[in-house]
Amino acid sequence: MPDERSPADIIAESAGPKAAVATDRSPSAEPDELSPRLANARDMIVTEHVDKWFGDFQALDDVTLNIKEEEIVVILGPSGSGKSTYIRCLNRLEEHDAGRIVIDGIELNEDVRAMQAIRSEVGMVFQQFNLFPHLSVLSNITLGPQKVRHVPKLEAEALAMQLLERVGIPEQADKFPAQLSGGQQQRVAIARALAMQPKIMLFDEPTSALDPEMIKEVLDVMQELAESGMTMIVVTHEMGFAREVADRLVFFDEGALVEQGTPEHFFTNPREERTKLFLSQIL
Amino acid sequence: MSELPPIPRPEQQPLPPAGGPRRIVLPPHRERARRPRSVRAREWVRRNLFPSWRGTLLTALAAGVLGLIAAGVIAFVFFGANWEVITHNRWLLFAGGFPREEAWRLWVSIAVVFGLIGLAYGTWSSLGRRDHLFVLLVGGFVIFLMAHGGAEIWSSVYFLIAVGCMYLGYLLTYQLPRATSSLRTLQVRVVGGLLILALPIVLLLLLVGGDVGIRSLDGFVLNLVLAPVGIVGGILIGIPLAVGRASSLKSISWTCTAYIEIVRGAPLLGWLFVALFILDDIIGGDLIIRAMVVMAVFTGAYMAEYIRGALQALPRGQYEAGQAVGLNQWQRTRLIIMPQALRISIPPMVGQAISIWKDTTLVTVILPLRELKGNADSAISQFEFTPDRIEAYVFVAVIFWIVAFMMSRISQRVERAQGVGER
Ligand SMILES: Nc1ncnc2c1ncn2[C@@H]1O[C@H](COP(=O)(O)OP(=O)(O)O)[C@@H](O)[C@H]1O
Ligand SMILES: [Mg+2]
Repeated sequence: MPDERSPADIIAESAGPKAAVATDRSPSAEPDELSPRLANARDMIVTEHVDKWFGDFQALDDVTLNIKEEEIVVILGPSGSGKSTYIRCLNRLEEHDAGRIVIDGIELNEDVRAMQAIRSEVGMVFQQFNLFPHLSVLSNITLGPQKVRHVPKLEAEALAMQLLERVGIPEQADKFPAQLSGGQQQRVAIARALAMQPKIMLFDEPTSALDPEMIKEVLDVMQELAESGMTMIVVTHEMGFAREVADRLVFFDEGALVEQGTPEHFFTNPREERTKLFLSQIL
Repeated sequence: MSELPPIPRPEQQPLPPAGGPRRIVLPPHRERARRPRSVRAREWVRRNLFPSWRGTLLTALAAGVLGLIAAGVIAFVFFGANWEVITHNRWLLFAGGFPREEAWRLWVSIAVVFGLIGLAYGTWSSLGRRDHLFVLLVGGFVIFLMAHGGAEIWSSVYFLIAVGCMYLGYLLTYQLPRATSSLRTLQVRVVGGLLILALPIVLLLLLVGGDVGIRSLDGFVLNLVLAPVGIVGGILIGIPLAVGRASSLKSISWTCTAYIEIVRGAPLLGWLFVALFILDDIIGGDLIIRAMVVMAVFTGAYMAEYIRGALQALPRGQYEAGQAVGLNQWQRTRLIIMPQALRISIPPMVGQAISIWKDTTLVTVILPLRELKGNADSAISQFEFTPDRIEAYVFVAVIFWIVAFMMSRISQRVERAQGVGER
């Protein structure tokens, strides 16, 4: 999409060097705690000193967090701590009020075209699935590629079938979302996001609205995706997933990033009292 | 990380058979439903009509009142009334001043519309026993009316052909598979497109060429044209108004709000006065055109409010999912929001359509236009029919009821047909 990429590239050029500088003096990344496989990876997401206000309520308070390419970050935190607000800022479903957010070299700001470019690079999966109820499963998946990337219909459908194959429900292609179980719907939602061939996937509590017996089928798809090298940010309370799949855990409380580290660090000797309290409640 | 316990992997679950019909095994207690019909009927009567002595009393009372009314109606319809006022004036009531030699345009239009109704029913719904009964009753009524006395015998044949077109359209589409497939998509597109084109086609048929023009619309035909123009025009005006009222740009949203509130603030009667006097100076044009404009403008304000209600009822997640996929605002509105909002607002919009259908009679009151009720007035102003005004107005009422009833039935079907993909 040359017409869509070109403004983004321009911004990338202006943001790129600054982003690199920013990473070097990033205060909260503790390199010794990062997985060795990511040692030489570049920064995919840079967020610096991000604030977000809803009226006079501060939902994000000076959040600084850099995420490497192919890194799997799991965000933990009590309800209302700003986890959703943070990842919604990353594809500009919310606009941050202060600080800087740079996604794959493109800075998020007022520029609508930069925003469009980001949105087609960042896939998002919601707690409530948010499938389009008036479209078949197949059309849910092909809509984005056809309308945003201008992929021809047949090609988009072939891609959609591949993705349905990947999430394990190719036989549901012609059904409507309401005819599927929650777990199947969420897998369709993942396929829909993947159809845009994103570089980053955001998951906002993808299993919280599911019946217990369906949680695993969704987590498995996510784990497969993680192993395929996708950059992922996952808000979840599934500690098994966090332990097994995450490269890094991040703990939010009251809008602030309180603590981060490897799963090992979190489950053996968390540093902050608030983290300990939260983990004791959830484990 | 290595000493952490691994997450157990799930076994691959066998896929359910693709598509094929699954056998339904009834649980044993369903056997009870298979008792003899007569037993079930007796049970139903007892439970619904005579559940207790008080219920029995009320049933008897209701039966008495209904019986009296029915006796009165039968006595009037078959013995008391003089239906000659209708049979003698049937062309006046139906098409008034529409040139007789151009009558084929009317019949072709009716056949086209009936054919489309058949196509639509075959595509999205099905005709049940009650529908056939309704067609039989109404069709019989119309044909009897036309054929009575022999003067309009051909009209009844044409009407029969139109009904035939409906069943033909139904049979054409009903056989086709319903499951989602590219063929089904094509069918839905074609029939949907024809439905959208129906009004322009009919207007073209009725108004263009030969010896006809906008002034030829008269009698029942005028009602039949005014209402759809008002409804379709109203929806076309209502959609942008609803979107505009929800706009974050204040100048747009205030303009749309002002339009909606001002138009809804006065009755249609008042706006027809505007059409008669004020619009005459501004846009001029034929009175019928001005009436059409007023009807569309008026209906548009109501349609806008129903659509806006539906827009607000849509969960935020639908907007956000559209954004997250990368659709721009126009695409989100057109592909995700509007299709859902229009579906949600079908029931109130049909209510509005029925109301505007009945309000087409107002053009007689305010504008000196001759629609069905106006022509009934002229029929009874003839010397020999002055005593028969009750007959004339009962007839008009029945005709209006038949069309309104059809509209409400069709909308019920539309709602049911879209059940899949809802929620
Ligand atoms: N659109 C909004 N308007 C006002 N307050 C909001 C809005 N969205 C979120 N908040 C508030 O911001 C805080 C953080 O919310 P959220 O990010 O959803 O928390 P979490 O996802 O961690 O549960 C909550 O107190 C919530 O009430
Ligand atoms: Mg949340």
